[in-house]
Amino acid sequence: MSQSENITRFKERARSVLTVVSEAKNMAAAFEYAAELTCKQGRQSIAAPGIAGEDLALLISICKEKNLVVFKDNLREKAERIGTGLTMADWGIAETATLVVDSSSEEIRIATMLSEVHVAVLPKSRIVPDAASIEEELTRMMKAAPGYLAFISGASRTADIERVLTIGVHGPQELHVVMLNEEKR
Amino acid sequence: MIKTPQDLKTYKKNLKAALGNSFLGATLATFAGAYPASRAIAFAGIDFDALARKIAKARDESIPNLEVLLEEFTERAQEAGCKVHFARTAFEANSIIASIAKANGVKRIVKGKSMTAEETFLNTHLEREGYEVTETDLGEWIIQLRGEGPSHMVMPAIHLSRGEVADLFTGVTGKTQDPDDIGGMVKVARSELRRKFLEADMGISGANFAIAKTGTIALVTNEGNGRLVTTLPRVHVALIGVDKLVPDLKSALQILAALPRNATGQVISTYVTWITGSPECKSAPGPGKQTHLVFLDNGRLALAKDPLFSQALRCIRCGACANVCPIYKLVGGHNYGHVYIGAIGLVLTYFYHGRNNARTIVKNCLNCQACKSVCPAGIDLPRLIKEVHRTILNVEGKKPLKNLLLKKALVNRSLFHFLLRRASFVQKPVAEGPYLRHLPFLFSEEQRFRRLPAIAGEPLRDSWKRIYRRTENPRYRVALFGGCLIDFVYPEQGEALFSLCREHGVQLEYPMEQTCCGLPAQMMGEKETARDVAVQNIKAIDPSDYDFILTLCASCGSHLKENYEKLLSEEPVLAVKVSQLKHKVIDFSSFMMNVVKVRPGEFLKAGGKVAYHAPCHLCRGLGVTKEPRELLSTAGLEYVASKDEDVCCGFGGSFSVDFPEISAELLKRKLDNIEASGAETLVTDCPGCVLQLRGGMEKRGGKIKVKHIVEAVAEQKK
Repeated sequence: MSQSENITRFKERARSVLTVVSEAKNMAAAFEYAAELTCKQGRQSIAAPGIAGEDLALLISICKEKNLVVFKDNLREKAERIGTGLTMADWGIAETATLVVDSSSEEIRIATMLSEVHVAVLPKSRIVPDAASIEEELTRMMKAAPGYLAFISGASRTADIERVLTIGVHGPQELHVVMLNEEKR
Repeated sequence: MIKTPQDLKTYKKNLKAALGNSFLGATLATFAGAYPASRAIAFAGIDFDALARKIAKARDESIPNLEVLLEEFTERAQEAGCKVHFARTAFEANSIIASIAKANGVKRIVKGKSMTAEETFLNTHLEREGYEVTETDLGEWIIQLRGEGPSHMVMPAIHLSRGEVADLFTGVTGKTQDPDDIGGMVKVARSELRRKFLEADMGISGANFAIAKTGTIALVTNEGNGRLVTTLPRVHVALIGVDKLVPDLKSALQILAALPRNATGQVISTYVTWITGSPECKSAPGPGKQTHLVFLDNGRLALAKDPLFSQALRCIRCGACANVCPIYKLVGGHNYGHVYIGAIGLVLTYFYHGRNNARTIVKNCLNCQACKSVCPAGIDLPRLIKEVHRTILNVEGKKPLKNLLLKKALVNRSLFHFLLRRASFVQKPVAEGPYLRHLPFLFSEEQRFRRLPAIAGEPLRDSWKRIYRRTENPRYRVALFGGCLIDFVYPEQGEALFSLCREHGVQLEYPMEQTCCGLPAQMMGEKETARDVAVQNIKAIDPSDYDFILTLCASCGSHLKENYEKLLSEEPVLAVKVSQLKHKVIDFSSFMMNVVKVRPGEFLKAGGKVAYHAPCHLCRGLGVTKEPRELLSTAGLEYVASKDEDVCCGFGGSFSVDFPEISAELLKRKLDNIEASGAETLVTDCPGCVLQLRGGMEKRGGKIKVKHIVEAVAEQKK
């Protein structure tokens, strides 16, 4: 499968699990997207524990313009105030529209579990056809213990009351994937 | 507290209550109706049978080596900072977990969904020790609040209505909840449980896999509570059945390809979490998070060595065997399992929760093979259920009278056939045409849901002598395996076959020493009797004498083809004959379409609208699905599709006598579907199904004629 086929497949599958996919030409555009979304939905903060260095400075300046607070650590204490959780994704699996997020850092876990909305930035070059095609890489990540590797395919969901599908039971109520056209810096 | 009936009387009372519960019936019917289509979409582009074979093979390689895998896992996981424990019994597992809680000064515990913890009744143990335990999976939380066990392995609260949940949540929040605002009720759970997560000292999870190569455990969840349970509290304990061990990620991914697709029709569950070692935890004092992995044996390692039952350990806990079970669909999981639910539940209950809990529920199987056909690990569930049933009968030494009578009758063919002839004579005063006018005294009131046929005045073995003609230079030599129903109840079906065969140059023989195929004995757990009659039949019909062994009875056919080799595998000479027999057994439609190759020109046109009921032992047992429908069209009949064509009619041999209430309900649904199809005739290819369907149609005064496919086709012959 060519890369463009992988991307198309990812997008198709994402639709069926209500994951919102968009594209951004660079990190600045991806951050704009996240900030815009947070404002539009009336929330005040973005938790972005995995973003560092120049990227973090960029995010902070974008958020400042929009009066948004950026949380970079100690998220456990801020658990009840996290609006958007913004993270990178290590891989995208096209077959199931799955994000692979190395969540060994507790901050990343809290940002992706306790936020109201999760926005993940996924470089297009990291999209693979299926899990089997990155089996070796995944095994390597697992061996680098201790580790917490998350496959995320959509927003938290349940059908436990009369099998009615309901989104957002424990984790984020929406999952947004921003496909990045350029390589992550 | 789970109370599983230990005697038939109590069980019957519960079944009756379940059948009268209109919410349960409707919700399970909607679910079961939607499941096959969503499952098919999820598996689009995947060869399910090939995947199931791969999973079965991989599991069968791991199961004998669980101890080796555990050793490798333990080494990796301890290196990565976990403490690994091994519990031989459920009590030991619960005690280990309680002592971890004690050592860490734990007060509040949050729990993710774990069937293994249900198995050990962990919550009860911990609560008794004074800990506050909160289930955090929505369905599990609901049943915990109600003090019930799960009614499905994947959807634990499927038996409850929105109204019942609203009442429950009104009690929890002190605010009236609107039953029609399911989103609102989910929000109640979100906020109530969020507080619990943040306050908890310890999180308990199960695991779907334990990967030996990396010491990793994996959790497959949709709600995300499993992630919170393993992240927020400072202590994490995972309780894991040793059967969850797999060698590497590849094996886990293979199972993951089937698990959500088969469970809920999702291509993947929302969250799959792979945890290695003891990951960072900022709420933990000192060196970091405490991670304890408790492996549970509880008989698994011994089960792994059992030549037959070891396959039960292949189970990946998808719950599909319940989703497709026609009985589960009627009575729900609280009547179809103890802790483990569905077909696999009937098997595992005996091993994990004992004979008393298994004794009665294990009888409630139609042997319709629906579970087997969707099992992603290829477990022969109907067979294991029968073997558990047999084991319990033998262990308890309290066999029902019918078992003893059947055994006595079947071992001696002359006696058996003499009794059937006597029955024909004795029934004369109560016979009314082809039916019994009223049922003999030994049948209860509940048996009256269908009219039962009278035994034929002249069995096929007698009329055969009259109709038999030799065919000059036959194209094929074929033996008819009649089976009891064709021989003694519906000989006209055998006669119709004979005339069709003659016209196509087929020499059809009826070896007179043949007897009952033995399936009824096997269904009652009488394996030895089943074996004895199998030997009689192999001696009666030497497969080397014929090109094909043809049956008009799908149940006999699949029993000859699949079970004879299991029954006689240890008999060196007979095993050869059984293997030859296996390859020669053929059903009527396949014989007509693929061997004789009948053509439309031989038949009349415009034979009317015909609905088709696919017998369990034909469509799943023998895997024949397209030939009967093609044959109907070829024979000038207009086949019309009906709902749930391949769902059991409820006959199941002696099942319909043991569980008439369930048999009647399945029959009712079947006939309703047929009547809705607009067909004038209902055709099927098993005399057992004919007995059930014709008797039911007659009883309700329906206008649709019920025929064996051989009769329908013979009538269309020019």
